[in-house]
Amino acid sequence: MAAWVKGGAADVDAAVEAAVDLLAASRVPVLAGLSAEVSALRAAYRLAETLGASLDPVSGPSLYAELGALSVGGAMTTTRAETVGRADVVLILGNRPWDGDLIPEIAAATPSRGRAAGAERSLLSLGGPQNGATRHVAYAAEAGGLAVSLGHLRAFAKGHLAGEAAYADLARRLFAAQYGVVVYDPEEVGERGVEMLQGLIRDLNESTRFFALALADPFQGRAAVQLSAWTTGQAPRVGFGRYQPEHDPWRFDSARQIASGEADAALWLASLPAPRPDWLGRLPTVAIVGEGSPEAAGETAEIVITVGVPGQSVGGALWNERRGVIAYTEPKAATDAQTAAGVLARIRDRLIEKGVSC
Amino acid sequence: MLTRIHGGRVIDPTAGRDAVGDVWIEDGRVVAPSERKPDRTIDATGCVVMAGGVEVHSHIAGGNVVMSRLLLPDLYVSESAPNGHPFAHDGGSGSWIGANYARMGYTTAVEPALPPSNALATHLELADIPLLDRGGLAVLGNDDHLLQLLRDGEGRQAVRDLVQQTLAHSRGLGVKCINAGGASAFKDGVLKLSLDDEIPCYGLSTRKIMSALLDAVEEIGVPHPLHVHCNNLGLPGADDSLVATLEAAEGRRIHFAHAQFYAYGVVDPENPMTGGFRSAAERINAAMEAHPNATYDVGQVVFGQTVTISLDILRQFGGRKGAKPKKWVLSAGDAEGGGVVPFLYRPRGPVSSLQWAIGLELMLLSSNPERTILTTDHPNGGVFTEYPRIIHLLMDAEERAKEIASLPAVVGERSGLPKIEREYTFSEIAQLTRSGPAKLLGLTDRGHLREGAKADVAIYRDERDRTAMFSRAKLVLKDGQPIVEDGEVVAWFSGKTLSLDVEADAGMEKRAESYLQDRFGAGLDTFAVPDAAFPENTGTFEDVACRA
Repeated sequence: MAAWVKGGAADVDAAVEAAVDLLAASRVPVLAGLSAEVSALRAAYRLAETLGASLDPVSGPSLYAELGALSVGGAMTTTRAETVGRADVVLILGNRPWDGDLIPEIAAATPSRGRAAGAERSLLSLGGPQNGATRHVAYAAEAGGLAVSLGHLRAFAKGHLAGEAAYADLARRLFAAQYGVVVYDPEEVGERGVEMLQGLIRDLNESTRFFALALADPFQGRAAVQLSAWTTGQAPRVGFGRYQPEHDPWRFDSARQIASGEADAALWLASLPAPRPDWLGRLPTVAIVGEGSPEAAGETAEIVITVGVPGQSVGGALWNERRGVIAYTEPKAATDAQTAAGVLARIRDRLIEKGVSC
Repeated sequence: MLTRIHGGRVIDPTAGRDAVGDVWIEDGRVVAPSERKPDRTIDATGCVVMAGGVEVHSHIAGGNVVMSRLLLPDLYVSESAPNGHPFAHDGGSGSWIGANYARMGYTTAVEPALPPSNALATHLELADIPLLDRGGLAVLGNDDHLLQLLRDGEGRQAVRDLVQQTLAHSRGLGVKCINAGGASAFKDGVLKLSLDDEIPCYGLSTRKIMSALLDAVEEIGVPHPLHVHCNNLGLPGADDSLVATLEAAEGRRIHFAHAQFYAYGVVDPENPMTGGFRSAAERINAAMEAHPNATYDVGQVVFGQTVTISLDILRQFGGRKGAKPKKWVLSAGDAEGGGVVPFLYRPRGPVSSLQWAIGLELMLLSSNPERTILTTDHPNGGVFTEYPRIIHLLMDAEERAKEIASLPAVVGERSGLPKIEREYTFSEIAQLTRSGPAKLLGLTDRGHLREGAKADVAIYRDERDRTAMFSRAKLVLKDGQPIVEDGEVVAWFSGKTLSLDVEADAGMEKRAESYLQDRFGAGLDTFAVPDAAFPENTGTFEDVACRA
């Protein structure tokens, strides 16, 4: 295990002490990143509560596009396995779903369960790359983007717009589904787009079965949402500055807090890869990062402590995108690497010993 | 340490105790009265002493509970929650749940919907509920693997092995089926399902699926009988569904979830769905009298805003247009999924008043409170923190009459509640909330105060205002240690998650692995609930033995 304090190599005990001093001296600390296993997220919430800090996962933009629409109107969703096994119509929104292995898997199979079993699978796209690699019927997005396109599509589906426009044809195809699924990336579609999409899905369900399958962010955001909800009753972003947790995506946006000078210290948690924020290295920060990662270096932050990488050198409960659940991942090789949860707990214990509490 | 709880009115219906006396505790267990001088004496003069409360059906963890928080972030916001624990203020959080159960004297609670496909997250959440022992019931009855086995006529052994494998991997305490076949049928376009209707694509029915599960539960020796959520919840005529399901059990042990939501008889047989409903509490209780193999929990309604959470996605979809506020979530999951629909039981509204009356009527007509468990199906009928008020209404006919007088006349026209004079005794309350649920779950070490019981004890001041009395216990001991004093949490004990001690059959494990890989592209390891996933790996779980 490696650790650095102000650029110099240090033992972990000294780095933990330095982290305690840095955080104890802070008036408005933020815990950001949170790309980590569930046990580390859990420890981060407990540390934030002790410090009176706020928490902001790096997966924020994807989460809020989904959560904002959810709290306004709800959702109808399904799973990847149900999509592959049951869907006879799959609509792919935007570009991002084409990047992973989901679309090729869907395209390679036909429905095998439910009333559509044995039927042809119809692949449709709206606003996609139209690259021809996968056979599908493509519909272009309108100039206003996916959200506006979805609005027009819904208007055709509801009969509020009529005519032989391409979206009228697309709407007919959607209504013909026996088990339809829309695949999309919430960040790409945006909150307004997700809200409109869910409205369209509700309309479709007046006569057939149709569901949404949103791609998860790659930074454990879905796990963070669950942990946050059962721990605080609220989704992230959450702040503990006034003791009780307050959910406020704007107020506890770490980038905003740091840019405005509101936050005076940070703890960056990334036992798994996460995009490095531009403030790392500028703001007094404790960085808890995966061993072997590019951030595992003395210049990353004032204090850097490396920890085991879940699924590699330590085990961990992680968001499993294929299953759409939290699943435990064994380490690939048994090591004596310290866990992020252990380091966070040590920091918290020392803060409590020193009488630091919000 | 030897502890003597002295001078309280000790209530233990399993031992016929209702008298002033002592309870002795040592090493976390109730022990026989001792000649030795106690290390600690707790003065319970003027108090009622009972075993810790046991909850059999409360939605306290799982993906749908999480979803309810995201859908309604303001529902449980609380500024008056217990102090002293991280997150205990956080309305609806695990800590809030644990603290509020403990304050009422409850020490065990079971989440009735543990989806095997999402077992780890549910258990992680359960483990973060402090102060209580917890458990979850593994849900079966809509998963394609089980339905395939049944469709293909693979026989009892295969079904038993699959149920056992599912229990072992999900670390469930028991098995529940929720509108068996209903979620599958919903995905195939069905909007109403009764006991013998065909489940599309499988040629099965609810009866066939449930019957297979009843057999499997018995053959495995699961202490808790199959926990059944019937078809047609909440619809006029749902009493027919419950009674038909009871008869379909053919004498096998069966537990009915939230019976109040099925105690709705049709008013107008010519227009069953539009003519309204009347109480079928008498009919349900008569059926239970005739079937000693059965038990039920009540699912009492309380007035106010709540959110309904159910894996019965067919029913939740049907109820979506009654959502208040007008937003809802429905997930078509890998087996059931779930539906989250906010609902307002309108204070003094005619429908909600009748529902409220039917729940109380069920309990007040019951000849055996041990087979009539108090629940609100939290949060479906209302929040569990309303238990003290419900107990008050059961124990105090005058208080009940005052409440009834404030409600619409339909309560008297369509239920028998106003005519009931019965008042529950302390012993009957203990049966309803302690000995009954513990026996039902097969937890022989709790729910009573006999020698050898876990020292989970609730001590209440004997106040005429039963709501106040049962809201804030004077003292609660968990495993012999004080966790609540004068209604406030004083020690943040971490309980155990109770799971059945079963091992998966090796042949079925291999077969399940192959099935899951084919369907999910992922195997049993992604369904596992290993000890290593839990904080500090410190023995979160406690085994419960199967029936001999």
